[in-house]
Amino acid sequence: MSMLLIWLLVTVACYGAVIGTAALMTLAERKVSAAMQYRYGPNRVGPFGLLQPLADGVKFIFKEEVIPAGANPWIFKLAPVLTALPAMLAIAVIPFTGVIGTFEDTVIYGSIANPEIGILYVLAVSGIGVYGAILGGWASNSKYSLLGGLRASAQMVSYELSLILAVLAVVAMTGSLNLHEIVTDQSGWLGWNVFSQPLAFMLFLICSYAETNRHPFDFAECEPELVGGFHTEYSSMKFAMFFIGEYTAMVVMACLTTTLFFGGYLVPFWEGAPWWIGLLAFGAKTSFFLLLFIWVRWTLPRFRYDQLMHLGWKVLFPLALLNIFITGLWISFGPGGN
Amino acid sequence: MVVVERKELSFLERIYFPAILKGLRITVSKMFAPRFTRQYPEEPLPTNEVTRGQPRLAVNEDDTIRCVSCGLCEAACPAYAITIDGQETERFIEREPERFDIDMLRCILCGFCEEACPKDAIYMSNELELADFSREALVYDIEKLKRPVSALQDRIDYIKKINDRWQTSSST
Repeated sequence: MSMLLIWLLVTVACYGAVIGTAALMTLAERKVSAAMQYRYGPNRVGPFGLLQPLADGVKFIFKEEVIPAGANPWIFKLAPVLTALPAMLAIAVIPFTGVIGTFEDTVIYGSIANPEIGILYVLAVSGIGVYGAILGGWASNSKYSLLGGLRASAQMVSYELSLILAVLAVVAMTGSLNLHEIVTDQSGWLGWNVFSQPLAFMLFLICSYAETNRHPFDFAECEPELVGGFHTEYSSMKFAMFFIGEYTAMVVMACLTTTLFFGGYLVPFWEGAPWWIGLLAFGAKTSFFLLLFIWVRWTLPRFRYDQLMHLGWKVLFPLALLNIFITGLWISFGPGGN
Repeated sequence: MVVVERKELSFLERIYFPAILKGLRITVSKMFAPRFTRQYPEEPLPTNEVTRGQPRLAVNEDDTIRCVSCGLCEAACPAYAITIDGQETERFIEREPERFDIDMLRCILCGFCEEACPKDAIYMSNELELADFSREALVYDIEKLKRPVSALQDRIDYIKKINDRWQTSSST
């Protein structure tokens, strides 16, 4: 019974933290972009505008819900769920901190679940995310939405390949798919994977921007060409669901970058730090990558669509293959090989 | 035919990363630059004696209104915003307005009433804010328009200076 309670507590804490961060990200996006443009951003709702996400949420709930004529109502309603849900499912295996303690011979990890196939699970569920965009685009019965959905699917499929290959190099170095083991493997002086796999890190970073439909790869939305892309026809809470999904996916991607390449909850020069210090370290590292998402968005212009495909297939994909090849050679014939 | 010679990009330029880092450096440096936004209700627009705001009626220190309801401002007003009804009074000036309405929704803040006034009774104040819930509430009556001379002193001095300059230059 109390094991169930602990499990419930961890689950609520993890989901609350990630979705709360996603909500705050919508505020941070506006605040940071405002600061970069000599403005203040929202500062009227609550201290420093901190309650703005709440006000936005209330506004979304009270908005009228419009389903366009000729739209497929069932798929139209399903699409936002298919965007938000996979991003939230991926939270389940992210190691927020190390071992918290033991309870009745059961080790309690700082993640909701600790399966052996952790990273595979994340890649699998985040792969479902593309269905939300493509189904939403198709079911809207609108040419802009359809084009946005098509672009989203083409882009996500091509970049997911390089993303998985970049992750594969890390997995090969670690020899495990378990995210906790990937983290603990990075302990020690310069043990972070970013130092041993810099190319994989760059590939992962670029592909994660494409995967989450962020600038400079936000072709699924692409305001000047496609109005709003796949969510043009959406309104009310369904539109908010797309946003929640997008921002949760960003948080998950930032968590994954930290976990795979920046030592997760490990604190440099402090082996065996208590679990709450690890949690803070994880939060700090993830916050930086979340900030980087915003920072890059307000710095770089959008690519042209053919440039995006060129970059994905002719640059990133060969580089990822090359990285895998070099990693394989290193593992086989390097100092640790046979 | 014009042939544009394009420089071959070097390797560093083709991988874009130095340029991207340079861009990121610029955006982050702007985050700490001073901001242009004025926080309006807390931080109102700066005004001075040259500001031509809404017209107000000057009231002397002994609480008497300067206006003699001659109707010159009413006639000068290009927007027909002013309505005056006069009445007699025991004071030395013999006449004063019974009713002096300015429809602030019609007023175009041109300042002709101020120029037309022979008794220095109406001045353009530095008050600029105009908001209410009905059109009727924005037709200001005499009580809403009254301002003590001390509140308008800067403007009065400024107008006096302008008029004096005009008179000296035309007489010479």
